[in-house]
Amino acid sequence: MAMTQAARPKKKRTFGEWAKSRDGQKVFVMIAFMVIPLVLLFTFTYLPFAEMFGFSFYDMKYVGTRKFVGLKNYMKVFQRDDCFGALKLSLYYMVGSVVQLALALYLATILSFKVKGGSVFKGFMFFPYLINGIAIGFIFKFFYTRGFVFDTVLQWCGFQLDNLPYWLKDQRINNISLVGTSVWRYFGQNMVLFIGAIMSVDSELYEAAMLDGANRFQQFKYIILPSIKTIITLNVILSITGSLSAFEPPYVITDGANGTGTYFVVMHEIAHTQQKVGLASAMAIVLLIIILAVTILQKLFFKYVFKNAEDEDKNAAVKREKKLAKIAARKAGR
Amino acid sequence: MKLRKVLALSLAAAMTLSLVACGGSSDNTESADTTTETADTTTEETTDTQEETTDTAEAETPEGVPSYSQIAVGTDYTDLTASIKWIHHKTDREEDGTIAAMIAEFNKVYPNITVETEGVTDYAEDALLRLSTGDWGDIMFIPAVDKADLSTYFYPIDTLANLDAEINFANIWEYDGLSYGVPYMANAQGVLYNKAVFEAAGITELPTTPTEFLADLQLIKDNTDAIPLYTNYAAGWTMGAWDAYIGIVSNGDDTYMNQKLVHTASPFEDPGDDTGIYNLYRILYDAVANGLIEEDYTTTDWEGCKGMLNNGEIGTMVLGSWAYAQMVEAGDHGEDVGYMPFPMTVGGTQYALAGGDYSYGININSSDENKTAAMVFIKWMTEESGWCYNEGGYTVDKDGQNPDLYAAFDGSTVLSDQPALDGEADFLNQMNSESELSFNAGGNAKVQRIVEAGATGSESFDDIMADWTAKWNAAQEELGIEVLY
Repeated sequence: MAMTQAARPKKKRTFGEWAKSRDGQKVFVMIAFMVIPLVLLFTFTYLPFAEMFGFSFYDMKYVGTRKFVGLKNYMKVFQRDDCFGALKLSLYYMVGSVVQLALALYLATILSFKVKGGSVFKGFMFFPYLINGIAIGFIFKFFYTRGFVFDTVLQWCGFQLDNLPYWLKDQRINNISLVGTSVWRYFGQNMVLFIGAIMSVDSELYEAAMLDGANRFQQFKYIILPSIKTIITLNVILSITGSLSAFEPPYVITDGANGTGTYFVVMHEIAHTQQKVGLASAMAIVLLIIILAVTILQKLFFKYVFKNAEDEDKNAAVKREKKLAKIAARKAGR
Repeated sequence: MKLRKVLALSLAAAMTLSLVACGGSSDNTESADTTTETADTTTEETTDTQEETTDTAEAETPEGVPSYSQIAVGTDYTDLTASIKWIHHKTDREEDGTIAAMIAEFNKVYPNITVETEGVTDYAEDALLRLSTGDWGDIMFIPAVDKADLSTYFYPIDTLANLDAEINFANIWEYDGLSYGVPYMANAQGVLYNKAVFEAAGITELPTTPTEFLADLQLIKDNTDAIPLYTNYAAGWTMGAWDAYIGIVSNGDDTYMNQKLVHTASPFEDPGDDTGIYNLYRILYDAVANGLIEEDYTTTDWEGCKGMLNNGEIGTMVLGSWAYAQMVEAGDHGEDVGYMPFPMTVGGTQYALAGGDYSYGININSSDENKTAAMVFIKWMTEESGWCYNEGGYTVDKDGQNPDLYAAFDGSTVLSDQPALDGEADFLNQMNSESELSFNAGGNAKVQRIVEAGATGSESFDDIMADWTAKWNAAQEELGIEVLY
């Protein structure tokens, strides 16, 4: 648009002339290209989101009459103990995501140097990410069954079956078992992202550091870590957001039963089994707000930790995270 | 510029071609018209025969389609020519040829009625979609539609009063005195058990009360290696299956489930005589607390349990009679699988709940002769095909015979739930949703909670029941539903 305004004062043209000119065509092409993604984005993201926001003020089922109840649904979200109680489970997933990132970073650092069969390892570790989440659920359902895969492997290592816990039955450890599946699935993907970032580090820096007598750990600490700060920050934020909205492992493996019902699973149960669509929508909005708050807190935290790590446009990052949060919340509303 | 002209020409050519194509398709519709014309002539013939056989038909069914009770299977309409399509959910029976065999049998009596079938996987959802398009054929198993919408989609089979004289469970799809569906089979709610396990455990008489049942489960644990009661906790819906016993089975009242439950102040109170919802779920809690269930309930496997019951690795499972045939087929010891009424005795009688499965419905938009052919087919399927019997279903036809699996039901009273009172049809749905207990509506989590509490001791059974009562009463208050009982 700036182009046309700049072009206009030069010479007076009719609209027809302008439309045929290079400037005019440019604008038309720009609009034409923008319209399609914007229409798609509006129709499938913002419109449903707005609808869901509207639902959160109603007492409604999928069919039948709706009753406007104002903020009552939001009050219920805060009054019910199953809604916020479920958020406690997110702590398990957050701890899991820290383990996952540390593991990914460690392996990425090793594999970004010359390692025999490095590509094979990368392939094997990335592979779980390519499997459908539901399929992973079924794999682990059998994996954890008493006397099946996991127990057998542990017995080979010398454990007695009687000393082994019930991986999904024992309420003290079943959430850890579930988090394990999500770590197994995502650490390979994190690792590949880290390797990509580490590859972009100039190899002359390592040589220079080696000449200065720096060992591998010092190279990691002073060269690699500062160079890939941005990608680490991004991965941490994505993992924490993912922890708050964990859904597939508990839904498929345990159906949210036996104390494994995360916020999303509870929301799903309320929306689809109990048909309280308004309440579930309010839960989704509350989760969106929580995710936004957590993301902002993390941004502040990283700003404090790596003072000048952000070399990209800050606004762009914030916008992207907001979008991710919205996507997560929208998934929740479905 | 030349290129542009070529483009324009080719575009014009393409357009004319497509126009021609349109013309072609309109020709097709013309030929379709002629086929309907020939079909019309056959209608005239059939209506002639119809007038001869059933004069009374005219009074109640103005469209010239006979009602269910007016058809005498095997003698009426044997020369009717029609081609009907039936969509159903029994994909397994479509594949193994059972359905084709039944239709071949049907065609021996009605050689000119062609029946085309289509088995639909994921029936519950797909059928609703197909229904909304209107173009699905002539017969379908009625999916979950609101009763008020029945007349929009389906042609009434008969009046309720007439149909009730012919079949059991005529009221499933009843609206305004008309019945829109005939169930293809019916299920009774009892308990699956393994006869060999019972024998090995030293159980000579089937249990009739929760206390006896628990004692028998203990005997199985003590005397055999079998799992006394398999909960199928992980599958979820198998836990929700316990809800099927909360009405007739636990109190012998066929108006309880759809009429009284929503108006009851404390449905989960212990009546003190080993009956009621309280003692129904107490069986589960006590069985779990005493270690009478599978060791690791969180990794149970629905497909695997069928063979285990068949082989005598499982003593009992609480499921509807529909599961019986699957358990028998799952292994080499089909003869060991037994079915008994639920061990609960109300006032000296054991009650069993029976209810229809999916029901045949006829497309309201079908032509009259197709409706007639569909009606004939449905009645033949119900009375002559033996399908219900072969599936191990409780008989739909009033004169039909029950399969042997119901032998243990001889002494017990089999009832089906009465529909809700006028104006209260959605009360139970509302209460289910508001209280989040969802009886018979996917409320698996609440039953799973009993298992968890029994296993970990985190809650006592009375606490759970008190919590349910609190939720039930809060929902009654919220919805303004009067407490009458």
